[in-house]
Amino acid sequence: MSNNHEHRRPLRPSTFASAVTDWFDERIGVRTLIDMARKKQVPIHRHSIWYYLGGVTLFLFIIQVITGILLLFYYRPGADTAFESIRFIMTKVQFGWLVRSIHTWAANLMILAAVMHMFSVFLTKAYRKPRELTWITGVLLLALALALGFSGYLLPWNELAYFATKVGTEITGAVPFVGKHMLELLRGGPQVNDATLSRFFGFHVALFPALFTVLLGIHLLLVQKQGMSTPLNIEKKKEVKSIPFFPNFLLRDLLLWLIVLNILAILAVFFPSELGEKADPFAPAPAGIVPEWYFLFMFQILKMLPPKILFVDGDVFGVLLFGLAGLFWLLIPFLDRSSQKGLQSRNFTYIGIAAIIVVLFFTILGWVS
Amino acid sequence: MKTTIVLVTTTLLLVGLLVSTTMNTQQRPREDQCFVCHDMLEDEATVAFRSDVHRSAGVSCADCHGGDRFEEDMDIAMSSAKGFIGIPRDIAISKACASCHDDEERMRNAGYTGPIGQLASLRHSAHAQGTHSGEELVLQCTSCHGAHGIRPVKDPRSPVSPLRVVSLCASCHSDPAFMRTYNPSLPTDQLAKYRTSVHGQRNLAGDPRVTTCVDCHTAHDIKPANETTSSVNAFRLPATCGKCHSDAEYMKPYDIRTDQVSEFTTSVHGIALLEKGDSGSPSCNDCHGNHGAMPPEVTSISHVCGTCHSLNAELFRKSRHKVEFERLGKPECETCHGYHAVQPATEELLSLETNTACGSCHGHERAPVGYRAANIMRGLLDSLQITVALADERLHAAEQKGMEVDDIRYALRGAKQARLQSRTAIHAFDLDVFREVMDPGLLTARNALRDAEAANSEFFFRRYGLAVATLIITLNVILLILYIRRLERKDRAVA
Amino acid sequence: MTEQQVSPTKRSTLIKLLWGGVAAFVAAICYPIFAYLRPPAVSGEKVSSVLVGAVDDFDPGSGVHFRFGNEPGLLVRLDDGSFKAFSATCTHLDCTVQYREDMGLIWCACHNGKFDLRGRNIAGPPPRPLDEFQVLIQGGEVHVKQS
Repeated sequence: MSNNHEHRRPLRPSTFASAVTDWFDERIGVRTLIDMARKKQVPIHRHSIWYYLGGVTLFLFIIQVITGILLLFYYRPGADTAFESIRFIMTKVQFGWLVRSIHTWAANLMILAAVMHMFSVFLTKAYRKPRELTWITGVLLLALALALGFSGYLLPWNELAYFATKVGTEITGAVPFVGKHMLELLRGGPQVNDATLSRFFGFHVALFPALFTVLLGIHLLLVQKQGMSTPLNIEKKKEVKSIPFFPNFLLRDLLLWLIVLNILAILAVFFPSELGEKADPFAPAPAGIVPEWYFLFMFQILKMLPPKILFVDGDVFGVLLFGLAGLFWLLIPFLDRSSQKGLQSRNFTYIGIAAIIVVLFFTILGWVS
Repeated sequence: MKTTIVLVTTTLLLVGLLVSTTMNTQQRPREDQCFVCHDMLEDEATVAFRSDVHRSAGVSCADCHGGDRFEEDMDIAMSSAKGFIGIPRDIAISKACASCHDDEERMRNAGYTGPIGQLASLRHSAHAQGTHSGEELVLQCTSCHGAHGIRPVKDPRSPVSPLRVVSLCASCHSDPAFMRTYNPSLPTDQLAKYRTSVHGQRNLAGDPRVTTCVDCHTAHDIKPANETTSSVNAFRLPATCGKCHSDAEYMKPYDIRTDQVSEFTTSVHGIALLEKGDSGSPSCNDCHGNHGAMPPEVTSISHVCGTCHSLNAELFRKSRHKVEFERLGKPECETCHGYHAVQPATEELLSLETNTACGSCHGHERAPVGYRAANIMRGLLDSLQITVALADERLHAAEQKGMEVDDIRYALRGAKQARLQSRTAIHAFDLDVFREVMDPGLLTARNALRDAEAANSEFFFRRYGLAVATLIITLNVILLILYIRRLERKDRAVA
Repeated sequence: MTEQQVSPTKRSTLIKLLWGGVAAFVAAICYPIFAYLRPPAVSGEKVSSVLVGAVDDFDPGSGVHFRFGNEPGLLVRLDDGSFKAFSATCTHLDCTVQYREDMGLIWCACHNGKFDLRGRNIAGPPPRPLDEFQVLIQGGEVHVKQS
C-alpha cells in the first residue's frame, strides 16, 4: 500500500460507477434512495408468479413509446395523407413494417397484460388498505390504455378503422344529456372525417401519453414505496420467503421482458399489420364491422339489449350500465369492507370471477357472431 | 161576346207579332256572306277555298280575316269595328290558325281527332331561329299548308301529303343560295341523297307509307340534330327509326326484318350510346347514312366499321381473310362480329367450337393451317389473361403485407397494354404479327408474377432476420438464467 | 464450504459472455432503428417532381419516355426548342402513348388515337386531352413537376 498506487488508482468500472454516484449524491442525495432500493424485498409464494404482469405491461408501454416515436417520424395525419404515409412506412421505409407491426401487436398485448394484471390484483385483493390509490391509478391507467387503443386505431385511416370509429363514437351519443356534446367533442364535428383524425392524433400522441405517464409515475412510486402485496391467506403465515428486488427480481423481470420481445418479433414477422383499403366515407359500411377485441364484450352486450328497457332506449341503458359498472370497479377498495379490515372477502372473489366470466363470454360471443 | 172579341184580337196580335219576327230574321241571311260575295267575284283565294277542308267544317273567311260574316254591306262587314284585319302578315297568320288549332276543347268539339298545339311546337323549332329582321318565325302555317285550299294531310292533293311533302321541304332546303341567307353551314343535298335511298325511291314510285322528311324530323317540332330533344339526335335516332322499322305489322309489305333496334340496344354500341350516353358510339345514321340511308354493301362494310375501327380494318384488308371472304361472298366484320347485335369482343370470340366465328370455317381437316394458328393464338391470349390476373392478385397480397410493389406494378402496365393491342393485332390473322404483340406482353406478365411471388416471400429476408434476433435473445436468456442461478446460489451459500 | 463455490474463471467467463450477449442485443436493436431513421430514396408517397435529364440530351423534334412516380410520362422537345411534358397514359384505355416523329404528333398504338403537341385529342377514340405536367429548366437540367 504505497502512496504511489493510491495516487494513480486506475479507474475500473466499479470505482467509476461509485464516483458518478458520489457526484449525484452530493447534489441530490441518491445514496439514500439506493439504500432503500437495496432493502426492497419481493415475497415469494404460490401466487408470486402474478407479480410479473405489471412489469410486462410496463415493458410493453415502453415499447409503444419507442415505436410510436419512430412512427411519428414518417406518419402524416390528414385524410389525404394518413393512409399513404402508412403505406410508405410499410413499403419504402427500411424496417418500417417491423416498427408498425410491433406497435400494433404490442398495443394488443399491453391491454391483455394490463387486464390480466388487474384481475390478478383483484383476486388477491391487493387493492385493500394501504393500496387503494394504487388500484385507482391502475384502473385509470387501464381506461387510458383503452383510450390510446381506440384513438390509435383510427390513425391508419383505412376502411375498418373508419367504420369502427364511426360505430364506437356513435355509442357515446347514447349518454343522456351530454351524449351529443361528447360525440361532437370526440369527432370534432357531427361526422367522422378529417377533423376527427386530427383530434384523435392529438389525443393519441400527446394528451393520453402525458396523462398516462403522470399516472404511471404515481402508480410506480406507490408500488416502490409500499412494496408488493401478499395475498391474505399467505400474509397470515409468519415465515414468508422473499428475494431482493435488486437485482434478483429485476433480472427475472428482464428475462421475461426478453421473451416477450421475442414473441413480439415473431408476431410481427409472421402476422404483420395489413394496410387495408383506404377509408371512403361515401362507401357503404362493409358487413360485420366490429371494434377491437378489447371492446368486443361491451359491443356484444349492447347488440343484445332490447331496443327499449322500461322507458329508456336500450343503448342508453347499456351505456349507463357500463358507466356504473366502471364506477363500481374503480371504487372496489372502498366497497370491499372485509378486505379493508384484513379479512377474507369471498363475495368479492366471486364478483371478480363473475366479471372475468362475463367479459370472456361476451368477447367470445362477439368473436364468433 | 166581349170575351170573344178580346180573345180573337189578342190571338191576331200575337200571330202578327210572331209572323213579323220570323220575317225579320229571315231578312238576315244565314250564309257566310264573305264567301257568297267573293265567290261571285271569283278571286283566286275564294276559288281555292271552295275545296278547303275548313269550309266543309263550317269555318268562314271572317274566322281568319275578322269582320262580320253575316253582314251583307261590305263597308260594315269589312270594317275594323267588326274586327276585320285584312290580309294578315307574318306571325298574325299563324296566330289566326292557332286561335283554333291550339285550342284543344274547340278542336275536339268540332270533331277533329288530329294533333294540336302546332304553333307552340313551331315556336320551339329550328324554324323559329335565325329569322331575318327579327320576325318570330321563318315560315308560317300557310307556307307549307297553303292559305285557302287547305286539304287534310292524307289527301294526295295536299302539299304536305307524303308524296308531295319532300318537294315542299326541298323548295327551300335544296336551294343553296336561299339557305345561305339563313345558315351557311347547313347542307342542301338532302333531297338528292334521299332519292338514292330505298325510302326516296319508293316515295318516288308512289308509296305513301314510306318515310318522308316529316316522319323523321317531325312536322312542326323540327330541331337541329345536335339538340338532345331533336327526334334525329343520335341518342333518339334508334327510337325514331324504330317507329317503323320495329313495327312488324307496318313493315309486313316490305319483307325485311324488324329486330334491328332491339338487337342494337343489346349491342356494345347500343349500350354505350343509350345507357352510358357515349356520343362517340354510332347511331343508325353513322353506319347507314342520313338521307341516303341504305344497308352497306358486302364489300364496303369494313369501310363503314373502319371509319372508327381504323387499325382493325387496315390489318384486315391486308390479311388473307379479305381475299377469302370476298371469294366466299362473306361480308367483312359482320361475319364474326355481327352487325346490329355486336357484343364486346373477348378471348371467347377466338373459339374453334362448331358454330363459332372461327369454328364455322376452320377445323382439323378444313382450313387446318388457320385452325392450328387460331388454337395457338387462343392459348397465348388465355395465358396472358391468367398471368396478368394472378400477378395483380399477388401484388395486392404483397402490398397488404408491406412489400415494395410499385416497380412491379409499373412493369405490369406493359402486359396490360399487350392485352389491349392483341385485340387489334388478331385482325391480321397472322401468327407472326400476333406473336410480335403477345410475346413481350407474356414475358412482362411472367416476370411481374415472378417478382410478385418474390415480394410475397420476401418473408425470406424477414425470417432470416428474425432467426438472428431470436438467436441473440435466446442466448441472452440462457446467459441471464445462468447468471441468476449463480447469484442465488451465492446468496444461499452466504445465508 | 460457505465460501464461494464457483471458480473465478468460470465467473468471469459468464460475465464476459453476458456482456457480449448484451452488446449483441443492443446492436440487434440499434441496427433496425438506425436503418429505419435513414431517409428512404423517395421522400414521400406522392412524387412531386422528377429530374429527366440535361437540356442538351434532347434533340428538338423528339420525344422520350420517363417515369413520374408510378405513371409513365412523355417529354417532348418541340422544333422551336421548348419542352412539353405529358402523362403518357392514353385517356382512352390507359395504354402508353408515344411521340411519332414521322407524324409530328403523339400517337397511341392501341387504337390509333392521336394527340397534338399540346396534348389535345385530335383523332381516334381518346375522349380527353393528355394530362400535362409542368416543365422547369433549372441549371441546364429539365425538371418535370406536377402542375
